[in-house]
Parts: sequence; structure tokens; C-alpha cells
Amino acid sequence: MKIRDDFKIVKDPYSGEDYVVVPPIIPDVAVIHGLKGDRFGGITVLGARNDRLLATAARKTIAVVEELVEPDEVLPGLQEVYVAPVHIDAVVVAPGAAHPTECPGRYGIDAGHIMTYLAAAKDEASFLNYLETYITGPADHEAYLEKVGFRPPERA
Amino acid sequence: MGNSQTESFEKMIGAISRLLKNGEMVVTGTLSPLPAAGCLLAKHTHAPDLEPMLYGDPENRLSEGLHEFFGVAQKGKVDVFFLSGLQIDRQGSINLSVIGDYDRPKLRLPGGAGSAMLYSMSRRTILFTMTHTKKLFVPKVDFVNATAFDGEVKTPWRRGGLSHIVTPLCIMKFDDEKKRVVLDRLLPGVTLEEVVENTGFDLEAAGRDIPVMEPLTEEERIALHGPVLEKMRTIYPLVCRMIWG
Repeated sequence: MKIRDDFKIVKDPYSGEDYVVVPPIIPDVAVIHGLKGDRFGGITVLGARNDRLLATAARKTIAVVEELVEPDEVLPGLQEVYVAPVHIDAVVVAPGAAHPTECPGRYGIDAGHIMTYLAAAKDEASFLNYLETYITGPADHEAYLEKVGFRPPERA
Repeated sequence: MGNSQTESFEKMIGAISRLLKNGEMVVTGTLSPLPAAGCLLAKHTHAPDLEPMLYGDPENRLSEGLHEFFGVAQKGKVDVFFLSGLQIDRQGSINLSVIGDYDRPKLRLPGGAGSAMLYSMSRRTILFTMTHTKKLFVPKVDFVNATAFDGEVKTPWRRGGLSHIVTPLCIMKFDDEKKRVVLDRLLPGVTLEEVVENTGFDLEAAGRDIPVMEPLTEEERIALHGPVLEKMRTIYPLVCRMIWG
């Protein structure tokens, strides 16, 4: 409360107890990662993340999905939950978009690349070099995957 | 990772396992491999009815998202939760925000992330640390993210607080009357001097007989290297590779 003057104490009208309340975060834009998506914006996301909460809170949400499917195929797998089209403003189809982190159920973490990143992040010069090599250098997502040598598994 | 380091982590997993009681609902959050292994070990040995909810477990299905973990704690379903800190003090407060002065910190950390609520609303909390140094165990934390108990201001939602702290050297416990952390027992192979030298506050060990934790039993070893590790590799593949190869 000392460092967050936007936190306020209010009386709970039901119990009469004092509670500290925190203002909601309403992002202008949320970019989330989904597994399956359809052309209307229905998507599935991992349940163990806050992507669904983010999508419902943000003014605009861009979903980057691994796979474009028909609407009746947007069914959440074991680790996934569904997010309705009303919360999604754009769907970007980009297999391997979670690289170098994992996409549970599809592909694992690229530990080698994470180590490369960690080493590069130690100082300014090597970090700029990393950005040039992997982020700003490659023309598009395909070129990035080529550069890091990662092929997302094909789906049946 | 060296053998002694692996052994040390296995002792901690054993210590955590033995602190859990059969039937309890135990929850681990992000970056908590040793607690997750401890919960699984307990379930495979002395606590078959333990209910672990481990963040990152592919078998743990959710209906909406990560925030459900918090909802479960707020409802009062969580018996045991695990937290850590970059600093932990004698009162059991934890710091996950800044080292040094808040406005001009030496180190800025990710922050509390719900720890204050979880420390209050879980029936008991076990703290775990991957190292045991004076930098970590300090007389007073630089910033309080979450407290082990309510001070002068009583909150309506406090359901529990600090139970134990498991470190690579020892197990500490929270003395509910004195409201401070004291030494409970040593991990096998560790001397009292080592613990005292590496702790920045008085653990009140002087004049007391400090027991040493029993080494892992054969049953615990077999469970740990069998079903526990098998499951752990699905939750923490990288950490498991670092610890066990």
C-alpha cells in the first residue's frame, strides 16, 4: 500500500470486513498462443496458462495458433480449454510459434536454444547480436524456424 | 550436476515428503521441482491418499486457466502450499521483489505473484530453498511480499501460515508461540556449525539437542527413482535432466 497508491481499502458490504482492492488490468492488446483455431476466431489454449483470462480481459486479442481447423474441430485436448470467437479479433496461423519454449502436447522446449539465449543475454553486444541473428534478421516466421533449425511436428 | 548435489536434493525431497500427511491436498506452483517431487514421493510411500495439484502436470486438467489454482486456495481447499524467496527472515517473511532499497534496488526480481494470498489462505506453507546462505536467511527481508502470520493487523482471510522451511542443510520450523523460525533438525551429513555459520539469524539451537533427519529408506529410494522420477520428467524435464541426468 505504501508503494501502490492505487490499491484501496474498502468495506465489504456483505461481511463488513475491510478488504484491499486492486484495480483491474485491461490490456489494449493481448497476444496469446493457441493450439487449434478456426476462421471465426474460436481457439483452444493451454489450461495451465492465463491465456483465456487475458483474451477475455483485453480490448483486442490476437491469437497465434499452431493449426487452422474447421469450427467443429476446435475441440480442446486434455490440457486445453476453449476460447470463444467473441474474445478473438485476429487469428495468425504459425506452426512452431511457441519456439524456443514448449507447446505441451506438440513439441518440447528447445533447451539448446534457451541456453544460446541465456548466454547472449549476459551483455548488451551479444544481446544485440542475438536480436540481429534470430529476431530482426530473418524475413518472416519461416525464415526464423529455418535459422534456429526447428521443424514443428506435422499434424495428421 | 555432481553426485553430492543430487544427493542433497534427494534428502530435501525426502524431508518434504515426510512433512506431508496422508489425505492432505498439496499444491505446488511454478518453479517448484523439489516440492513436486516431495509430494509425489509422499503419495508413493506413506501418504497414498495425498491429493497433489502440481503446476505443470500434464494430467492436471483445468476448466479455465491458471487462476483456478488461486481460486482453489481462496476457497480453503489447500492444506499445504510451497513458497520460496530470494530472502527469508526470522519471522518467516519472504522477499520476491527487490534486494536493497525499493527505489534504487541492487536487484529487481519478478515479484510476489500471489504469494501473500497463498501464504495466508493455505492451511500451512512449507518454504523451500535451493541454497542455504546468509544472503538468503537474513534477520529482516528488504521487502515483505508475504508474511508467515498476521501481526497487529488481523486479516479476515488468514487461514494458516508457516509450517517448516526445508533447505539443503536443515529443516527449520515455525515456533507459533514465539512467532519465529527455529532449527528443527539437520539433514544427514550436515553439522550444526555449518547451519549456524550460513544463517543470518539466531536459530535458537544453543543448548538444545538437534536431531538429524533419518536418511532416505530403501522404500523411499525405490519410489523416488521409479514412479516419482518418471512422473517428474513429464513436469520438469529440464530440471530432472540437470539433477538426475
